[in-house]
Amino acid sequence: MQAKAAVNQKSGNTLNNAFASHFAKSMFLSVTALAILSFIGTRMFTHVDLNLYGYMVGTIVFIGGFFYRFIAWGERPPTKLILKKGLKLLLRKSTPKTSVEHLATYNFIWNRGIYRWTQHVLIGWGCILSCFVTFPLVFGWMYFTMDDNGHYNIIAMGMKVMTVPADGIIANLSYNALNITAVMVIAGVCMALYRRLKNMQARAEQKFLYDFMPLYMLLLVSITGLALTFMNIFLHGAGQPAMSLIHQWSVIITLIYLPFGKLAHIPFRPMSVLARNYREHYAEQGMKECKVCGDQFVSVEQSKDVVDVLCVNAIEFKAKEGHHLAEMCLPCRRKYRIAQFSGFPTHEVKVKEANQNAKG
Amino acid sequence: MKKRLYLELENCIGCRSCLAACTQCGGHEERNRNYVYDVNPLVNRQTMPLMCLHCENPACARSCPAQAIQIHETGAVLSALVEKCIGCQNCTIACPYGIPKFDHEQNLMYKCDLCIDRTKDGISPMCASVCPSNTLQWLTDEEIDNKKKQFNLDNGKWVTSMPYLEGETNVKVNLPGILQGITKLF
Ligand code: HEM
Ligand code: SF4
Ligand code: SF4
Repeated sequence: MQAKAAVNQKSGNTLNNAFASHFAKSMFLSVTALAILSFIGTRMFTHVDLNLYGYMVGTIVFIGGFFYRFIAWGERPPTKLILKKGLKLLLRKSTPKTSVEHLATYNFIWNRGIYRWTQHVLIGWGCILSCFVTFPLVFGWMYFTMDDNGHYNIIAMGMKVMTVPADGIIANLSYNALNITAVMVIAGVCMALYRRLKNMQARAEQKFLYDFMPLYMLLLVSITGLALTFMNIFLHGAGQPAMSLIHQWSVIITLIYLPFGKLAHIPFRPMSVLARNYREHYAEQGMKECKVCGDQFVSVEQSKDVVDVLCVNAIEFKAKEGHHLAEMCLPCRRKYRIAQFSGFPTHEVKVKEANQNAKG
Repeated sequence: MKKRLYLELENCIGCRSCLAACTQCGGHEERNRNYVYDVNPLVNRQTMPLMCLHCENPACARSCPAQAIQIHETGAVLSALVEKCIGCQNCTIACPYGIPKFDHEQNLMYKCDLCIDRTKDGISPMCASVCPSNTLQWLTDEEIDNKKKQFNLDNGKWVTSMPYLEGETNVKVNLPGILQGITKLF
């Protein structure tokens, strides 16, 4: 609390002082931004789709939960450090490439296995594309009008961006966008469920609420969404209102769950780009040399940051020799421990660490 | 009955069965997460294993910005959650024993999870189940106490923590021969 007050004083920021907490401020700004965007997008609320009202409430509750979690998390010392330093380095030349590899193409998941990569691309992109279609519709940022001549107008932010034939490819793709993404998500979730039943690591660690619940929710959202289409086309709309409610309900529950369960990685993951920038930038600034063997094993900055973070947690590992344990490279740190056990200074013997990898 | 991993370091004969066994644990994906070191490689053959000691206040988890390292209700400090680890490697710098390993290709930290799929049901971890020299044992606190009586140390040194370790740990480490002044192998 004191720290917060000090920050406010230092910056002398009246906007910050006007709010009881970061939470209140972020919440207020987002809801205002949403309202303004909707106001413009719907041409002063003349094109609001009231069927989508539930989503609007759901989104606002979601934003509340999201800020609550994100702010609590950002206050943790190590998180705060990476966020603060990482954001400053956001303009590095490598940022676009790292972002694409980490957030869009998931190269690192590919290296964990093609199955896991396929599964994640289907779920992840299925969801992202769905959101790109749904949210603009919900908040009126995008809607369609039909001319007499069988052409659709796609209106974004109140401006006509495209006119397409009602039976053309683009029109068909946009009517079916949510059906296609639903199929993607269903396929991906089935792959994930299958892996969760077979893979030993997954089986050991998984919990119903953390690991299965989000998968079932995604499944429910996609299946009820597809069912809506099915009812429209084959049942002439029979049962549609009920199904529509179930679908809305499942989306809202998923949104509210998102900040608290496994799906919280979606808003948090972009931090991996910050972490990569942080490591690359400070590695260029200067590398730390191991106090024992002199190998460069981490950036000076990160070594110092970790020592500080541990200090905040009241952990301090000082070696008898006076330096911090984090100032030794990993093999030396391990040998140093053997030396503490045996009484013989193993870490000082100039012999490279023996192979420690047993290939199974 | 809660059991814990108990190490009698000087029994180690350097067979590295524990490394091989570690690769075979369900979900370890054929990569071992433990170590075996020569104590004085140019002079004799004494070896000692080193593995995660599952600290009660784990530095690895405290330094993780993503909260990817979870502590299981059994006290085991788990490997990084695959969807949370952002690859910053803070944990490898923080751990006082240099235990966490990092896979750059997968952008993922992995470490000993005490074979949680086994130990959560009271079954011994892989390493202890194969160790031929009783260096790695899976014991109840009572059994560890009985060992203490058996060794009858009068110098007050028993299951080691400080000054050999940096803090309290769930895994117990001991060197009964060395602490009693009985030289076994070296
Ligand atoms: C911001 C980009 C994203 C990144 C960097 C990311 C990253 C990851 C990673 C690394 C995993 C672990 C995969 C593994 O090792 O097997 C994962 C799992 C998962 N992701 Fe994402 N993700 C992203 C977006 C999304 C989105 C938009 C969704 C849609 C809801 C999603 C849903 C899931 C699910 C359901 C799992 C768990 C799969 C399982 O049960 O094993 N992710 N994610
Ligand atoms: S020994 Fe290292 S890796 Fe294991 S719990 Fe302690 S700090 Fe974490
Ligand atoms: S490498 Fe992964 S597990 Fe380790 S501190 Fe960073 S985010 Fe956490």
